[in-house]
Amino acid sequence: MRARSTLLLLLPGLAFLLVGFLLPAVAMLFAPPGVTFAQVIERMGAMLTDPYDLGIIWRTVRIGLIVTALCVVLGFPIASLLARSQSRWAGVLLALAIFPLLLSNVVRTFGWLVVLGSNGVIGQLLTGLGIVEKAPQLLYTELAIVLGLVQLFLPLAVITCYSAVAQVDPGLDEAARGLGASRTRSFWTILVPLSLPGIVVAATLVFAGSVTAYTTPYLLGGSSQRMLSTQLFSYASVTVDWAAASATAIVMTVLVFLVSGISALVGRKGATS
Amino acid sequence: MSRGLKLRHPVAGTLAVAGYVIMIVPILFVVATAFTAGSTLRFPPEGLSLKWFGEALAYSPFMEAVVSSLELAVLATALALVLGVPVTLAIHRGRLPGKGLLEGLFLSPLVVPELVVGLALYQQLMIGLHLDNFTTLLLGHTALLLPYAVRVTGASLALADPALEEAARGLGASPLRAFVTVTLPMLRPGLISAGLLGFVTSFNNVPLSLLLQTRDFRTLPVTMLDYVQQSYDPMVAAASTLVLAATVVVAVVAERTVGFAKIFGGINR
Amino acid sequence: MTTPAAELVGVSQRFGSFTAVDSIDLRIPRGRLTTLLGPSGCGKTTTLRMLAGYATPTSGRILIDGQDATRTPPEKRDLGMVFQSYALFPHLTVADNVAYGLTMRKVPAPERRRRAAEALELVGLGHLGDRKPKQLSGGQQQRVALARAVAIRPRLLLLDEPLSNLDARLRVQMRAEIRRIQSETGLTVVLVTHDQDEALEMSDEMVLMRAGKVVQTGAPRDVFPAPADRFVAEFLGYENFLTLADGREAAVRPEHLCVVPADTPLDGQADGAVVLDAVVRDVAYRGVDVLVTCEATDPAGTTVRLVADHRADHTAAGAGPAPAAGDRVRLLAPTARLAPLTAEPATEGIS
Repeated sequence: MRARSTLLLLLPGLAFLLVGFLLPAVAMLFAPPGVTFAQVIERMGAMLTDPYDLGIIWRTVRIGLIVTALCVVLGFPIASLLARSQSRWAGVLLALAIFPLLLSNVVRTFGWLVVLGSNGVIGQLLTGLGIVEKAPQLLYTELAIVLGLVQLFLPLAVITCYSAVAQVDPGLDEAARGLGASRTRSFWTILVPLSLPGIVVAATLVFAGSVTAYTTPYLLGGSSQRMLSTQLFSYASVTVDWAAASATAIVMTVLVFLVSGISALVGRKGATS
Repeated sequence: MSRGLKLRHPVAGTLAVAGYVIMIVPILFVVATAFTAGSTLRFPPEGLSLKWFGEALAYSPFMEAVVSSLELAVLATALALVLGVPVTLAIHRGRLPGKGLLEGLFLSPLVVPELVVGLALYQQLMIGLHLDNFTTLLLGHTALLLPYAVRVTGASLALADPALEEAARGLGASPLRAFVTVTLPMLRPGLISAGLLGFVTSFNNVPLSLLLQTRDFRTLPVTMLDYVQQSYDPMVAAASTLVLAATVVVAVVAERTVGFAKIFGGINR
Repeated sequence: MTTPAAELVGVSQRFGSFTAVDSIDLRIPRGRLTTLLGPSGCGKTTTLRMLAGYATPTSGRILIDGQDATRTPPEKRDLGMVFQSYALFPHLTVADNVAYGLTMRKVPAPERRRRAAEALELVGLGHLGDRKPKQLSGGQQQRVALARAVAIRPRLLLLDEPLSNLDARLRVQMRAEIRRIQSETGLTVVLVTHDQDEALEMSDEMVLMRAGKVVQTGAPRDVFPAPADRFVAEFLGYENFLTLADGREAAVRPEHLCVVPADTPLDGQADGAVVLDAVVRDVAYRGVDVLVTCEATDPAGTTVRLVADHRADHTAAGAGPAPAAGDRVRLLAPTARLAPLTAEPATEGIS
């Protein structure tokens, strides 16, 4: 293919990418309407010292880390059981784990309102059995957000780990067993180290998703459990504080880039050593 | 070798079951609540009825939003494919320096938080350039779906041997003929995957669309989100159940055409 | 008689309606090299996997050192297995791969290192301990797999088609190498192969398998000249079959058939040989020799297709230059080279 025709193929896509993504994203950082870049930086400085704003950042990071850990701890066993199973049910279970990825986040998150709400399943169960007199407050807590985000991102962790496990030769497990390793030892000394690059990718995707998700903290966290995303929306749409919105957007983006960068480094190191 | 899904390892088995409960059970409760005869999101439901389905289907904001979301998702997906496939070809078959960089550029919308992109489009295009919100949404969604189009069809193209196209040329086909008769059929699974994935992603999107809503053009997920926040009745459960049913149809189509698991194999590498 | 190193008693393995191994009895002699030989699908690998503990027999018992090990998991059998794919752990160094079994046995680090180094030394790779498996050639990987299996001082060393992924020259080299290691360590070795040359060259004892059953066992020197039936004969490279005057079937190898022109006087050559009249159908030149395909009439009067391996220097036996297609010839088959077949499974369909 000649350079000119290659360029022609690229151009329309490139134009859309610029107008629909790149230019607005850059412009937002440097020139929000009626605000200077200096004011954005100043606002960001204020955020990083203000206890309330810092609390939101810390809550976002904390929830992101907990959700990431849970998704790996729950997702890797599912992935390894499915990838190593010869049963025909494994295919059905894999489809069941992937299906939620197609389903609207609003629908999935809404389920937790039914489960955790004051008249919800858990509350009714606890009061009905006489364990507690009044249903405990489960909704609008950090726990609710964590549960909602785990539900949202576990499928992603499962399929990412699944392809990692599927790439590990099952013969290695047999070799380890033949050399005297129990199932558990073989799992930890062979399968886990060899799937590690996939686990790192899964963790990165889940973390990035968790710290930027909007639906879940909005529905399950309410105004008492603000995260960066809900805070950003409120700056942009309720108080219309462009400097603060841009500053929050920068913090959020930097957080995601930082984690992606670290995981890329870890991945590269793992690949070369 | 273990036959069947015997959970030989009790710890792993327990964790796996817990994972499935968290992924699936809340969805089941949504369905159960949708059939209630009562008027609150109470569980167990007070009696059985289909009345909330009727209400949801008669509620004009939902119905208008369904049409809007479909319109947006179909257009954005088609645009992303029409723009993305040439890009894929240029990246994989063209002789360009910095292919990796170029591919990275087209994948970059996946890296920046969607809410941030939404904010940028709102500020710069809607407020700054006074674009109407449908155009802005279409631009944003197309840019968001471009990575899917480029990556998923790229995976298909990588499997296609360039020698096949050369063979077609050798047999007398023009470059365009060779592309249409040889390369395009091989891209078919990738195109279907990218199309389905793009459609679902656009249709379900909240963070990018959130700030780009107006009274005239609202998308379904955001409309439902607002409704849940205002009133706590089972109509949203019914609407959710309908969305779930439609999603099952999409999943079955996906399974029948390219295979369910394969579609998602292409998203993250 | 000492107890065999391992023993299979009436062992079967069925997968659904398919019987991979059909009630076999087998004794693996201690300190010897036994090969399981047969075409693909004959059940030899399944037999090895049951011995190693990766598959549990549907019925029958497996004894190791005289003790029942039928249901013992592989990690408790103390056997060393070399896989066809080698199955080296890609994330561990060569030394750590070899030490893996010792780590699992909680051997203290200094001894572990010493024994791993010893095992690597045994296969001639003492200098490559710090490499990763990917950095080694196929032949070297094979040696590492061998060292890893030997390092735990296994009760049995099991080799599953160990040489099939090597190129021809290396394969021949490794045969001798495995024999050397076997005699140096005195290990009991069980080797699975589909290559009859490999089995003949390496075995103390060979076990021929077909369709899940053992068809013949014995030392190579006993089995080769006296194949039990047509299947074994064909597998060992006998290409020609004819019925003798007494009605018995016999096999003869192409290189033992001598082609002479039909008009040559036989002199004393016919003594101790069966003489057949034949017509040449095809001649294939192969450099060192010429393959002559003939249609001949055997002593029982039936027409058979026979292939003779005709060497240019066969002239001593009275054979002239290679015949051409259409020539009338005589084929001489020395009686001593005829292997009478005791059983006749030819009518038995391949299951």
